Amino acid sequence: MKFKFHPALAITLLILGFFVFVPMISAFEYSIRTPAEGGYGWNNYLWAIREEEFLYYILRSLWLSGVTVLITLFVLVPTLTWLHLSNSKVRGLIDGLSLLPLVIPVVAFAVGAQIAFPDFVKDTVLELPFLYFVLALPYAYRALDIGLNAIPLKTITEAARSSGANWLRTITSVIIPVIRGSVMATIALTFALSLGEFTLTVLLHWDTFPTWVTYVAQENILGAIAISMMSLIIPFLILTMVTLFIPERSTQRRK
Amino acid sequence: MSSKSLTLNSVSKRFGNVTALDNFNLEVGVGELVALLGPSGCGKTTALRVVAGLEHQDKGTVLVADKNISDVPAHKRNMGMVFQAYSLFPNLTVEENVAFGLQMRKVNKTARLKKAHELLDLVGLDSQSKRFTHQLSGGQQQRVALARALAFEPEILLLDEPLSALDAQVRVNLREEIRRLQLSLGTTTLFVTHDQEEAMSISDRVGVMNQGVLEQIDTPDALYNKPASAFVAGFVGTMNRIPAQIADGMVEIFGSKVVALKRGNESGHVLALIRPESISVVANSAAPNAKVLARSFMGASSNIICQTADGTIVQSLMTSASTGDLHPGSSVQLRVLSSEVLVANA
Repeated sequence: MKFKFHPALAITLLILGFFVFVPMISAFEYSIRTPAEGGYGWNNYLWAIREEEFLYYILRSLWLSGVTVLITLFVLVPTLTWLHLSNSKVRGLIDGLSLLPLVIPVVAFAVGAQIAFPDFVKDTVLELPFLYFVLALPYAYRALDIGLNAIPLKTITEAARSSGANWLRTITSVIIPVIRGSVMATIALTFALSLGEFTLTVLLHWDTFPTWVTYVAQENILGAIAISMMSLIIPFLILTMVTLFIPERSTQRRK
Repeated sequence: MSSKSLTLNSVSKRFGNVTALDNFNLEVGVGELVALLGPSGCGKTTALRVVAGLEHQDKGTVLVADKNISDVPAHKRNMGMVFQAYSLFPNLTVEENVAFGLQMRKVNKTARLKKAHELLDLVGLDSQSKRFTHQLSGGQQQRVALARALAFEPEILLLDEPLSALDAQVRVNLREEIRRLQLSLGTTTLFVTHDQEEAMSISDRVGVMNQGVLEQIDTPDALYNKPASAFVAGFVGTMNRIPAQIADGMVEIFGSKVVALKRGNESGHVLALIRPESISVVANSAAPNAKVLARSFMGASSNIICQTADGTIVQSLMTSASTGDLHPGSSVQLRVLSSEVLVANA
């Protein structure tokens, strides 16, 4: 097919370019400035990597995001499968409820959590993945919902069960591989949202990579921007690797 | 041979206000192929799903070789099932699909792929084993589904309208293939269909269902020639319903008296149930009693549709050789060829 340059595409690229790429490129340009010597260099990046806490916080944010992804898949895949199969009227209600995190201000959410949660929950950083899960719910829910809508779920599930697969095997060996694209989207959305979450984390008095970056910015703004650039690239690389290492199957669609 | 007998005892199942199965009883012998036939909504699919464990009955029991499996979950029932369509796993190749049941039974990879190839060979698709399912035609997909259902040597094979989504020619070929495989493997099979030709052509026995009840279960011949009720008579094959008067056990149709086969307390004004092949249409008669509306040529035989003076439409099936003089509009005489006819209350 010959590529045609459509005006709509041009407008989209223009807006995207102006609001996404211009700030990013400017930030990058800023992060490689070396005011002391003048000109450009990698000094700020080297400074960031030498910071002791850099590794600590990036790893902490990565594993918290990983846990959030696991919680999301563990809770949502069976729940949505059940909702789709049961054809119950509850589904409309749950659909609506899943949107609530979008309309509840994070501040209200955080204050509520701070007041209501018992100490043993507040004392562990593991409260964050559960709260991140709630924040990512509207996106994760929809990504999986679309995948499950697009497949003959009932028949495939019944075929798996009558072939001898229990529910767990049906979900892990059949449903998840079949809606692989949706699952990947869910992983990417949840992971990215958890990794960048700032407001809730600060309000609950936890330190993660994004909160550490703002702290660093107060003493070394160039270093903080270098760190932010890396925090953009690192998850991007991780997500790309995850996508590459899960083997793509059945790519050719019948024409 | 792992095949076992199947029994359903007084199984009832309701969905809200709808009774899908009402004290339903069925016995399928070892190695037998029984079809459940009926209009949509008659409960035949529900019966099959109860056997598979995909629905749970409200009442009654399901027995396999006299063992009560009513509360055994679907994945432990060891029943192969073929669905209407689109039931193959799109993320797996053809051979992986067929080997899936064995994989769930923890059979090692070499053994299960060997078995998968055996089955694919039986359905004539071994050359397609590495392909993905969306690269196959509808008929091929159902062959793979059949191979998958048989690969783990199920005790019972369940077929849920497996041919209904296929083209006419493919349906005929595949149904014969199903029968050939079923006979050679000796698998006890329950086959649900709304297509009577399909049911009659490959089954040992056919059960006709209506409103959650088994109206009659018999060999295809018996079902056709000795229907137990007016419903079965009307549902299996084509049946003319001709208004007639019954007196002293005889009905008068087209001017001649014929013995009435009563099924109940039919009396007075009744409907005589007569197969098209039991009615002959005579052209150039001195005493015409009907007009020809249409004649459809079907090769060796032709279907003649006539209308009597009182407006009743009558179908006749005759050898094409004897219908040369029958044209739409011509006056003809209808005659009943059989000496006894079924009657039903009008």
